[in-house]
Amino acid sequence: MQQLINQVKKILKAKEVDLVIGWGKGSLPFSATPVFIETEEDADKLIFDQTCRNNLTSYLTKDKRRLTKAYEKIGIIVKGCDSRSVVLYAVENQIKREDVVLIGVPCQGVFEKKKIAKLAEGKEVLEYKINGDNIILNGRDFESKYPLKDVLCDSCLTCQYPDAPEYDFFIGTPRKEVSIPEAYKIVEDFEKKSAEERWNYIKEEYSKCIRCYACRNVCPSCYCPECFVDQNDPQWIGKTPEVTDSIIFHLIRNLHIAGRCVDCGACVSACPVDLDLRVMSKKVEKEIKERFDYLAGIDINEKPAMATYCENEKQDFIMG
Amino acid sequence: MVKIKKTRLKDFIDFVQQEYDVFAPTEVGKKTAFKKIDSAFEIIHDIVNTDRSPKEVFFPQSEVLFEYGKDGLKTPERKEKPIAVWGLRHCDTSSLTMLNKVFSDAHQMPDKDMFKDPYWKEKYDNSLIFNQACNTPLSTCFCHWFGRGPFDKTSSDIFVVDVDDVFLLEGISEKGKAFLAKYEKAEQATKEDEAKITELKRKAESFLAEKTDISELFEKIGKLWDEPIWEEISGKCVNCGACTFVCSTCHCFDVSDEGKKGKGKRIRLWDSCMFQLFTKEASGHNPRGISTQRVRQRFMHKYNYFMDNYGVHLCTGCGRCVQVCPVNLDVRELIKKVLDYKIS
Ligand code: SF4
Ligand code: SF4
Ligand code: SF4
Ligand code: SF4
Repeated sequence: MQQLINQVKKILKAKEVDLVIGWGKGSLPFSATPVFIETEEDADKLIFDQTCRNNLTSYLTKDKRRLTKAYEKIGIIVKGCDSRSVVLYAVENQIKREDVVLIGVPCQGVFEKKKIAKLAEGKEVLEYKINGDNIILNGRDFESKYPLKDVLCDSCLTCQYPDAPEYDFFIGTPRKEVSIPEAYKIVEDFEKKSAEERWNYIKEEYSKCIRCYACRNVCPSCYCPECFVDQNDPQWIGKTPEVTDSIIFHLIRNLHIAGRCVDCGACVSACPVDLDLRVMSKKVEKEIKERFDYLAGIDINEKPAMATYCENEKQDFIMG
Repeated sequence: MVKIKKTRLKDFIDFVQQEYDVFAPTEVGKKTAFKKIDSAFEIIHDIVNTDRSPKEVFFPQSEVLFEYGKDGLKTPERKEKPIAVWGLRHCDTSSLTMLNKVFSDAHQMPDKDMFKDPYWKEKYDNSLIFNQACNTPLSTCFCHWFGRGPFDKTSSDIFVVDVDDVFLLEGISEKGKAFLAKYEKAEQATKEDEAKITELKRKAESFLAEKTDISELFEKIGKLWDEPIWEEISGKCVNCGACTFVCSTCHCFDVSDEGKKGKGKRIRLWDSCMFQLFTKEASGHNPRGISTQRVRQRFMHKYNYFMDNYGVHLCTGCGRCVQVCPVNLDVRELIKKVLDYKIS
């Protein structure tokens, strides 16, 4: 941690950046909170641990519309998935790579609050301790121990790039790509279901959606200044949480983020009703990988899968 | 005060159901919400706050106001029984009294000019409200900041305390007292039972986190409209509507027509001041075009405008927004920042 703070102080002092976006301690035991650091003194607020869930890069694009102040050069602390978002922005001409300074941090996976709440079965967890491969959860009148992997985000459990493939500084030594044999297991299980079962699952899941759009708003890849659901002239989609409209919202969003989703899991964590958003985004990721051998946010010189065309691409979706 | 054995709750709920549709905390997907139940077995007891707030019982996320067609307008007729809600906490019942002010109660306007929302009134006015004491408040609960507490009994018909293997029930309003009197199978509570309440109350209050004195909040926040504090506060907000949708007191709505040729319906549905579209005008101009303005609006409404109009803060301290906010914008910290802020 101190190493991270020192690094940030150093680049602020050298005026290499005028803002650093990182995480600070949050008010709940499992949530860090985004902090915007402009001075060396403020850099002491920075932390990095498994509560640092947010993909902060979404502030790089959305920020332009949010903050009144213009920054020349922004430093940002990135986990593996976050750095992939920055690559995505660069590839999609949203930012210039040289306008941001990436500080990579070694990621051990981040906590999924909802899994923790579930394990605690309604009791409130007030503190935790990490003990080797286990996590010890403490509440007012209980203490229980679970394997650490049971409280990590699903995205982290299948993450191939826990350490930023793209960075300017790295705290420690970055690991290379990790091989995950069962990266698409949830998709394969889903594909094994009959069409009817799949449809029922989608209907049941999406009927819970309250259309708060937290998933979209935390999504680094959803940066349209005006989302199609917010357009009202013409209005593309009904505004009630009626399931058919919710399905349209989610399927269109899935198509819009096809080949662009970096599987940071931000949407899954943000959803207040705990929808299974990942099975569809992973399905699309797998399709793009198989058809075009493309994974979002890895190669800064490669054109995005949905923005190029090659004649020898598989066209069976048209030709049957 | 009477008592009902927990093992006999089903019998009591069956009795309530003879007259009312009973709504109670139950599982919806992987989360909890107040929904209509068929039997007492569906009730979840071991939670404090439901994930989704109870406002949806009386103010559903989408509600048909009327249907239209070539032969005119048709207002939907409510055919269901009146509503009873079991398992509300004191923050929940106080949120309903706040919403009641908006939809049908006293305002500074003289009553005769006051529009009363028939959709809300029909449901709320005939309801039976059970308010259950919170034996174990959460660390995110801050009802006590507003001068309320986990064992408050006001704003309900029947007050319920979970004590060991029984529920103690006390009629608060005339309606509640009369209802309880009709249930003959309940036993009278003893002095010992009542003594246990005092002990549970003391314990519950000891669980509450430190209290902040908010007596200056209304005036202070009212002076901050033009201050840079809103940029600092709103910087991390991603303007999702999660906090407003789970909030038990947020009540802004939109009206939308859904129709095909010749017929359709007009629907009222939840909206959120966090959304860009909320204030976008037909000309394309948006008076709250940036996030900072929207965040300011949400909290000004809660801690200033509503107080100005109705004499109470539009926040119960239920902490639901604290739990769902994806960027941990904690309203308690916001209040403290406002109180500590030095005006430039
Ligand atoms: S869903 Fe589509 S239109 Fe909406 S923000 Fe995401 S990419 Fe843009
Ligand atoms: S965050 Fe969840 S409830 Fe909100 S719009 Fe997305 S899927 Fe629906
Ligand atoms: S603002 Fe937060 S604490 Fe206050 S009533 Fe709404 S959800 Fe509850
Ligand atoms: S939940 Fe948090 S991020 Fe979303 S609108 Fe509310 S305060 Fe902003």
